[in-house]
Amino acid sequence: MVASEVSEANGFWRACAARATPADRVAAEKGVRLAYRRAGLDEPERVVWAGSPREAVTLIRAMTDTGPSVRDAVRTTPWAAERARLHQELGAAGWSAHWGATGGRLWETTRSLVDRIRQGVLDDLLGTVPVPEPTADAEAPERLERKRARAEIQLILLDAVLGQHDAPWLAAFPTDRAPLDGLGEVCRTAGWWWPFAEVAVVCERPVTLTRDEAGRLDNGAGPALAFPDGFALYAWRGMPVPAAFLAELAALTPERIRAEENAELRRVMLEHYGYDRYLTDSGAQPIDRDETGTLWRISLAGDEAVVMVEVLNSTPEPDGTVRTYWLRVPPSTRTAREGVAWTFGVSAQEYQPLRET
Amino acid sequence: MYRQGDVLIVPVAEEAVPSHVAAAPREPRDGRGRLVLALGEVTGHAHAVVGPGELVREPGPFGPFLLHLPQGGRVVHEEHGPIALPKGWFRVIRQREYVPGSVRIVAD
Repeated sequence: MVASEVSEANGFWRACAARATPADRVAAEKGVRLAYRRAGLDEPERVVWAGSPREAVTLIRAMTDTGPSVRDAVRTTPWAAERARLHQELGAAGWSAHWGATGGRLWETTRSLVDRIRQGVLDDLLGTVPVPEPTADAEAPERLERKRARAEIQLILLDAVLGQHDAPWLAAFPTDRAPLDGLGEVCRTAGWWWPFAEVAVVCERPVTLTRDEAGRLDNGAGPALAFPDGFALYAWRGMPVPAAFLAELAALTPERIRAEENAELRRVMLEHYGYDRYLTDSGAQPIDRDETGTLWRISLAGDEAVVMVEVLNSTPEPDGTVRTYWLRVPPSTRTAREGVAWTFGVSAQEYQPLRET
Repeated sequence: MYRQGDVLIVPVAEEAVPSHVAAAPREPRDGRGRLVLALGEVTGHAHAVVGPGELVREPGPFGPFLLHLPQGGRVVHEEHGPIALPKGWFRVIRQREYVPGSVRIVAD
């Protein structure tokens, strides 16, 4: 492929991984059946749909007739074969460059989303309440049961084929022919899925996925990721937050922010409330101001101070106003120039832009 | 050096460019034929160079990207004014933010 085709294909796979529309069930089931045949297996007797990975795990735990997992044959073996083939064809350096230009681009964002979903399923199914500590002679039965359930759920989660979230690695391979065409079809049309000898359990895609420009889960007004069965994750700029916490954000006060003992939640509160508003409301004075911006400091009891540079966006908005943005810098920062320079990893002396837009 | 939003573009003397860069793979251009220095995940807005040039991913101190513009060029972005660059080599740096315990990339 020429470079522009690679880049266009990356855009396609990136969109697959982020799609939040109902699955194309007919196409997905065809893909599932094709993947079994490519693996030399009989097609599953039935395909069962789940509203989310959480519901899929619950269904699988309750099923007694799934037969063994065939994930290795359906996914891992053909992936390894294709990887070996390309590695052979391109050489080690060529393969590494190819991966860097394709799957490597999509990997990080998707992997962190997958990790968040796994953790969310575990938390939802097990609850996050602490269990009793073990006593001297024996572990409490409740604790043993929790451990067993956790291990069981983790194993099921690791047995998933990731459907739309397989997009990063599928981007590196041809999916219009054997052996990856079935997997590619499910990737384009559905969410996670579990291949067992007798049954395939396939998930819907999310109905909501909101992320920030860096690709992190981010929504201050509701779930950042939600599935049709109600399974949802809440996050603010990538940081997991409890659902109830978001409701509280609307009614924040500086006193409430100062009273929050969890430093991470307090940071989210500050960002949501607005640093500028917080500084105005608490009567703060800037500690430095120069042509690069303004440096502010918020002292917090029992925690390191929040030191931020307020930077002007040099290009005016369409309405003529100039947007400012706030970046947190190390608490030791003394001047605005030093702070802005730090955000780019250069020294205050070095930081001398000729032109800024 | 030049700043376009959250991207800083710093001239690098040709002699200072690490020798392995000559043989390093070039980053592909995007569907519109541009060299993308940084991409917004949601809006798809990009800091990008139109016209001739090469972009190399560089893990060392001259990274994360080295940009080569043999005839000079222009960096554009959907929300920022364009910046004209002279010919030569440049280091492309993405803005970051301090987070207690770690550092995160800024997205504007």
